[in-house]
Amino acid sequence: MPALHTSSIAGAAPVPEKEGQNNSVRVRPLGGAGSYSIAIRYGTATLFSIAALFASLGIQHLFAFPYPFLFLFFGAVMVSAWIGGMGAGLLCVVLSTVFVDYFFVPPFYSWQVSATAETYFVSFVICALVASWISSAKKRSEQALQQTRDELEIKVSERTTALMQTQAELSRLSRALSMDELTASIAHEINQPLTAMVANGHACLEWLSAKPANLEKARQSTQSIIQNGTRAADVLARIRALFRKEPPAKQLLDLNHLIEELVDFLRHEAATRRISIRTDLARSLPWIKVDLVQLQQVLLNLIINAMDSMSDPKVPSKEIVIRSRKNGPDQVLVAVEDCGVGIKPEIAGKIFDPFFTTKSQGIGMGLSISRSIIESHKGRLWASANPCGGAIFEFTLPIGSQDSDE
Amino acid sequence: MNDVRPTICVVDDDASVREALGNLLESVGFDAQLFSSTEQFRRASNLDGPSCLLLDIRLPGANGLDFQESLQKAGISIPIIFITAHGNVPMASRALRAGAVEFLMKPFQKNELLGAIRQALERDRVQRTENAELIAIQSRFNQLTSRESEVLELVVSGLTNKEIASHLAISEVTTKMHRGQVMRKMNAASLADLVRMSDKVKAYSRKEKAQ
Repeated sequence: MPALHTSSIAGAAPVPEKEGQNNSVRVRPLGGAGSYSIAIRYGTATLFSIAALFASLGIQHLFAFPYPFLFLFFGAVMVSAWIGGMGAGLLCVVLSTVFVDYFFVPPFYSWQVSATAETYFVSFVICALVASWISSAKKRSEQALQQTRDELEIKVSERTTALMQTQAELSRLSRALSMDELTASIAHEINQPLTAMVANGHACLEWLSAKPANLEKARQSTQSIIQNGTRAADVLARIRALFRKEPPAKQLLDLNHLIEELVDFLRHEAATRRISIRTDLARSLPWIKVDLVQLQQVLLNLIINAMDSMSDPKVPSKEIVIRSRKNGPDQVLVAVEDCGVGIKPEIAGKIFDPFFTTKSQGIGMGLSISRSIIESHKGRLWASANPCGGAIFEFTLPIGSQDSDE
Repeated sequence: MNDVRPTICVVDDDASVREALGNLLESVGFDAQLFSSTEQFRRASNLDGPSCLLLDIRLPGANGLDFQESLQKAGISIPIIFITAHGNVPMASRALRAGAVEFLMKPFQKNELLGAIRQALERDRVQRTENAELIAIQSRFNQLTSRESEVLELVVSGLTNKEIASHLAISEVTTKMHRGQVMRKMNAASLADLVRMSDKVKAYSRKEKAQ
């Protein structure tokens, strides 16, 4: 039995990269020793019973009992049942019974069983059957346990991989969202030619108003203005190309799964803010074709906004509800509802504008980017008031796989 | 001294900005010296006449603000106007606290620049006048004999001739004679004038020691 534990996973530390390769090999089908072929299983059973026979013949003179020493046959039965399952165990029982009858049960070397030996013989057969049954049942339960462990481990490693992916995506996302760096470098790139243009413009005026006017210098200044204007336009074109470099990679995916994954991911953040997130997701929602990272960004923005709106300790209910449902024949709808501070009517028209923010730390791009992402997916994103005082942000996305982007 | 055209040094790694600023400065009658890096400026600067420095903050190799600090440590007191495309409040406050004249955000208008330059040149002029005066006082001070400088010390500390005489164990007549020599050599019109000169030299040597 200790030998069997070497294949057990109990001691194997979960190493995510390796798990992936081993998954398919690790799981063995339930219900018997499926990993061995029938020939090997029954062949082993036969061999073991013959071995038991010769061993018993070899040592029978050592025992002075009226009946010979037959326990080696039980060993053969148990081992056969362990290795080959119930069928092999039974085969071994049958062979053992035949050998015992012929060689060890009086009258010896005949198929008959004397009346005195009958009870002995029958009890041998019953004991062999029971041994076979116990052994194979034990093996089965051991295998079931092993398989459960394997499956559990696969699940853990799958979950770890998924989480790591999500984390990687989120960090990529947050990099994209930290616009500080980006705006600083854009500002620098654009301001340089603008500075040169303004300076050259002033210089040009000075040269023209000199007495006498220095037309050559004025002409050079103007030329420099043109060059720098062109340069600024080039910078803008480069930036636009940068953003366009990666066309959205759309894939069919399960919106509910995406929501659940994100909620899982934010659970900890929510807990530290004492906020609960509840999901109310429609069953069998059709899959939609979207850019995973972009949609994550939208949902993340909406959920984080909802959390931020409830940071005020006076907020009565700290629960975010995320709903999904089918909206008409060709749309799905996702709603993120909070009972936070809500949207004041006077700013309702501005919240989707770039650089509009009510947060002290915000840059005011979240909702603006979210709306443009949803619109690039041919959906709509809007906000309304929640009766509890908070806000509801909803977006729709078209169902179907029409590949009509760009 | 007034007929010397002031030199404006521009340190910016962006050639088009540098040249545009040079063009603008030239058009309003300044001499502009253009540098693409602080090292280039360091190597080339032999600025005897009135001058100031237009310094970009984001520069290859050195940050403009750090360069300001290193100039100060080296005792170079050229007034600095910072120009930057992406300034923020902490940067500006650091620059101004360290003695920058102005902190201009690119793109800036001619009047902002010229106003800042005028202010910088005025500061430069004051600094130069003070320096020149200090050097003159110092050279006069160096002409004094050791006995005369002893007398000077005691005079400015407020002692009478009699007290000085007893302090130095010399006659009062001799003291008066030394005192007359000191006033003449230092070119001092009054006792108050002498005290002022002495204070300046002391203040300067204190500053030197501090650096």
